[in-house]
Amino acid sequence: MLTCAASVAAIAQDNKTILGPANAALQEGANALRAGDAEEGIRLTLLGLSQAHSAKEKQTAQSNLCAGYALLGKYDEGLSYCDAALAANAMHWRARSNRALIYIKLRRFAEADADLIVGEEISPNSRTIQAVRRMYLDATNPVSPSVVIDDRREPPIEDPDE
Amino acid sequence: MLLMVTVAAALGEDDVTHVLNPAGDRVPLQTVVPVYPERALRDRLQGEVEVCFNVDREGRTSRIAVRRSSNRIFEKPAMQAVRASSYKPLADNEILSGIKTCRTFRFRLDPVAIEDPSEQSGGIDS
Repeated sequence: MLTCAASVAAIAQDNKTILGPANAALQEGANALRAGDAEEGIRLTLLGLSQAHSAKEKQTAQSNLCAGYALLGKYDEGLSYCDAALAANAMHWRARSNRALIYIKLRRFAEADADLIVGEEISPNSRTIQAVRRMYLDATNPVSPSVVIDDRREPPIEDPDE
Repeated sequence: MLLMVTVAAALGEDDVTHVLNPAGDRVPLQTVVPVYPERALRDRLQGEVEVCFNVDREGRTSRIAVRRSSNRIFEKPAMQAVRASSYKPLADNEILSGIKTCRTFRFRLDPVAIEDPSEQSGGIDS
């Protein structure tokens, strides 16, 4: 007869409980990319891609590789991975965002805008997409903020306190 | 006649214009320029806010209220700027007016032209 602790261990073993990320290389690659280490991030993500167990993991790896190559300025390599991710899942907003960023860098603004529109529909509150939209607007419609402070007295209108 | 002065603040010196009212009963001492809201900049929003307030004998602002605004996003920075601004204190022989002071903030985005060096024609032979 199994003890209580042994029973739990046996159940966990039967259910193949996994503690931590399923694809450690993919996770570590993402961490490296977030930290700005594009080369190490790409190396680990390529390893993670080779070990991908699901379509979702594969798309994540492809999208992250797209981001990594974009960080290195290798836009053609990046585009190929974003294209692959989006061919498998057109609703992958991170790949949309990454591809839009690359299109901006390549000054392919119409394609960038098209990806941003789709990305904004999928994930309207994404700060990443909002940041890329800002980069798009800065590239296509650059503006300089200014403030005019006008102390001139206008004809009196209704006072809010009265 | 309008008096134009430029005020330096969070925005660049050239990005702020202060139009004074020479007939006004209170003279601005420190004019704080509102921050252009980040989201408004990102979304390319422009707007205008009129804020009215009391100025006490010492030149401090109080009872600050928005009289009209074109977009709520600009109201908070406008009110914060007024709260941090001050006017010249009244002299002993001057009488405090009961009239509210109003200030209009116009948040603008001016188009800028950026030349792309890669699109230059001529000048460099390779």
